[in-house]
Amino acid sequence: MKINPKLPQCLMLAGLTFAAANIQADDKFRVCADPMNPPYSTKQLTGYENKIAALFAKQLNQEVEYTWLPERIGFIRNTLKAENEDGKGFKCDVVMGVPAGYDLTETTQPYFHSTYVLLIAKGRGWDDISESSQLASLPLQRQEGLKIAMFDRGPGTEWLQKSGLLEQGVPYQSMTGDSEHNVAMQIDKDLRDGVIDMAILWGPMAAYVLSQNPPASFIAIPMQSTPDIKFDFSIAMGVRQGDDERKRQLNTLIEQNLPEIHSIIGSYGIPLLPIPKQNPAKDDDD
Amino acid sequence: MKPVKNWLLASTIATILATPAVTTANSDVEKLTQNPANWATWGGDYAGTRYSKLSQINTQNVKNLQPAWTFSTGVLRGHEGGPLVVNGIMYIHTPFPNTVYAIDQKTKAVIWEFTPTMDADVTIPVMCCDTVNRGLAYGDGKIFLQQSDTVLTALDAKTGKRVWSVQNGDPKLGMTNTQAPLVVKDKVLTGISGGEFGVRGFLAAYDIRTGQLAWKGYSMGPDKDTLIKPGKSTTWEDGKVTPLKPESSLATWKGDQWKIGGGTTWGWYSYDPKLNLVYYGSGNPSTWNPVQRPGDNKWSMSLWARDADTGEVKWVYQMTPHDEWDYDGINETVLVDQEVKGKMHKTIVHFDRNGFGYTLDRETGELLVAEKFDKSVNWASHVDMKTGRPQVVPEFSTEHNGEDVNTVGTCPAALGAKNMAPVSYSPQTGLFYISGNHLCMEYEPFEVSYTAGQPYVGATLSMMPAGADVLTGKKDDSTNLGQFTAFDAKTGKIVWSNKEQFSVWSGSVATAGGVVFYGTLEGYLKAVDAKTGKELYKFKTPSGIIGNVNTWEFEGKQYVGVLSGIGGWAGIGIAAGLDSGEASTNSEGLGAVGAYRSLSSYTKLGGTLTVFALPD
Repeated sequence: MKINPKLPQCLMLAGLTFAAANIQADDKFRVCADPMNPPYSTKQLTGYENKIAALFAKQLNQEVEYTWLPERIGFIRNTLKAENEDGKGFKCDVVMGVPAGYDLTETTQPYFHSTYVLLIAKGRGWDDISESSQLASLPLQRQEGLKIAMFDRGPGTEWLQKSGLLEQGVPYQSMTGDSEHNVAMQIDKDLRDGVIDMAILWGPMAAYVLSQNPPASFIAIPMQSTPDIKFDFSIAMGVRQGDDERKRQLNTLIEQNLPEIHSIIGSYGIPLLPIPKQNPAKDDDD
Repeated sequence: MKPVKNWLLASTIATILATPAVTTANSDVEKLTQNPANWATWGGDYAGTRYSKLSQINTQNVKNLQPAWTFSTGVLRGHEGGPLVVNGIMYIHTPFPNTVYAIDQKTKAVIWEFTPTMDADVTIPVMCCDTVNRGLAYGDGKIFLQQSDTVLTALDAKTGKRVWSVQNGDPKLGMTNTQAPLVVKDKVLTGISGGEFGVRGFLAAYDIRTGQLAWKGYSMGPDKDTLIKPGKSTTWEDGKVTPLKPESSLATWKGDQWKIGGGTTWGWYSYDPKLNLVYYGSGNPSTWNPVQRPGDNKWSMSLWARDADTGEVKWVYQMTPHDEWDYDGINETVLVDQEVKGKMHKTIVHFDRNGFGYTLDRETGELLVAEKFDKSVNWASHVDMKTGRPQVVPEFSTEHNGEDVNTVGTCPAALGAKNMAPVSYSPQTGLFYISGNHLCMEYEPFEVSYTAGQPYVGATLSMMPAGADVLTGKKDDSTNLGQFTAFDAKTGKIVWSNKEQFSVWSGSVATAGGVVFYGTLEGYLKAVDAKTGKELYKFKTPSGIIGNVNTWEFEGKQYVGVLSGIGGWAGIGIAAGLDSGEASTNSEGLGAVGAYRSLSSYTKLGGTLTVFALPD
């Protein structure tokens, strides 16, 4: 399924879209990305988001052009929504991965669905754990020896609290100020060094940690969503609000290339779940 | 042996010689601030009153005010802070890359300029809310610049040559700096920014001659780090000033969470030379997720009094325990003596982001007054004067409601009923003048960032006009996003309040001429009557004003000056956060979205100093 049989139609459709959007034929596929954020994106183009961007650009007969900025507070504002210095157009047009329904951008239809994973370093006295729920019911004395990564912006922390394990959490920031190491790299290091024995990590980050270590170094247990805590999320692409033509174009590309996209993501060892039907009424806040 | 002896001797002599110099440095700054011809600290004086005894420009003639000269800083982005004027020389600063100019007022020419070398790729991505800088400090013949990349630099005030630099933090750990330092005696005080990155806040004092660290007091952690002396340092509790128990901070955190506990110190510092105490507020607790940090999270969101020589805590008072709203407590602290409930007190007055105006005895930390300075504030009904704690309304508790519930209509919004723009105080009227915001929010703890890798879709930023009267809190369908308010901190009463279309993000100055000056986001410099609030003058500067208006005298003439240059959280964050880009959202939030988007039709980027005077 590497070659999409519908490719010619797709290109034609894309061409029509360009005309409508008044985009030049030699226009570039402009991506806003973090230069040091494996496994998502890197300046060496080794991330899965880089690969998907390359796939799309090829089909559009365009070159990928990157605007690099560490993904921190203000990322969207300083990339996707930032105008070029000459006042003509924006710095970049697509953020390759945002949660579906994310509201700082408009989002395409989701292109994959993954879940958080409980990663446990083997050989540290936790090899008997095969279900996340076991942690909460361990004898108190064993619980007290537990060192598990806790994130400010992740459902794992919520889960720790509800499981009465907050005291065993080793706090981490989802954002680091370090432009040379991302959170996944830090967690990988701290797991090796024994600073922590386990972490509840988003699928791609868990996959990254696994990829950096010898096989069978970890027990990997997918976390199950409950009515209380959501662990599985759909990931979409982000475009500027109002950039409807590009959204349509990307939606077409996602639809046409889904098997290829999943094969790329799968090759990184990222857990893939079926994409659930999206609820059209995204903003339940109204 | 001989060289060592000589060295020791030399060092002793240096110390002896330095001692009188030290005294001079301190009295120097104090003396400079007492002469209204100068504007020698961010607040005009150590008390941070931002009051000038100059009266040449007054309520009668201010209508004739004119721009006298202007100066482009050559830098875009948000220009906070304002010009210092010391012995006739003017010193101004810019946002990143933090260029400093010394300007000759006679010729309007640059005497010297200094631009530090900083790595933009390392520094800028960790600056949360634009690349602002809030100004310079003067002392001991030096200009002190707190660079964005945490380097504190001392420059020779005459030549602009770098005398020393010291690393105050590590940008790799998310540390940056935005605040103006303050010279106190032989030390220069500075803090740290980066609560979003889990930076543990501190106030640090460096030797003004060498840059050597003298003391460092953290906002949270063990007593040895916070410089709290159990049994000696106090807080307000049970209706009285109460000595703190050992490890009062650690007791309010779970596990190691305090290590990334926030409580940063990016606001303004003031000083009482008689009590020898420095005052400031600490910021919001980290991490962002309140669920993760059960407890009061002391001493985030607190007012502090520390000994200037040792950093030892005299007293500390927490305003917003266990913050769930990002009501960062760093706003300025003003030191004035006032009669409260029939008794004279040396007071400290602080208008917090959480919407309450606090008056405490600054010697003891006794809580005297805590009242809303904008009655639309609803997250807490009142502050219990006995416990000193706000009475949180459960409906507006984000944690109480849970993560999936969108808490609607919490006032104020995360940017606070007032943000960092410093107030002014006039001893003529006895009133404080507050640059205010007048917005509510649908729950969002901060400008939700894009953090790849941890999808956790919470509610995001949504702000709307408070739509309620500042004086009564009654709904009135108003759409203004800003207020400029006069407040009596002795009684906790609002005296008058002017509506502004946009948030007021500019620090005001009150003068003996009975006039109060402030700037607006559209770029107007405004003068109002200190007694009534009546608008007496306005002039549109080249860009939106988020800087502080300062005033001084040169060759017998009173000048008023302000940096314009839109940016900061107000100019970029709010506009970006509210603007969904869809035409349909123009009318959302009672027009707030359209209103904020329209900011870009009023003003554009670009830093300019505009100096005003009466015509000859």
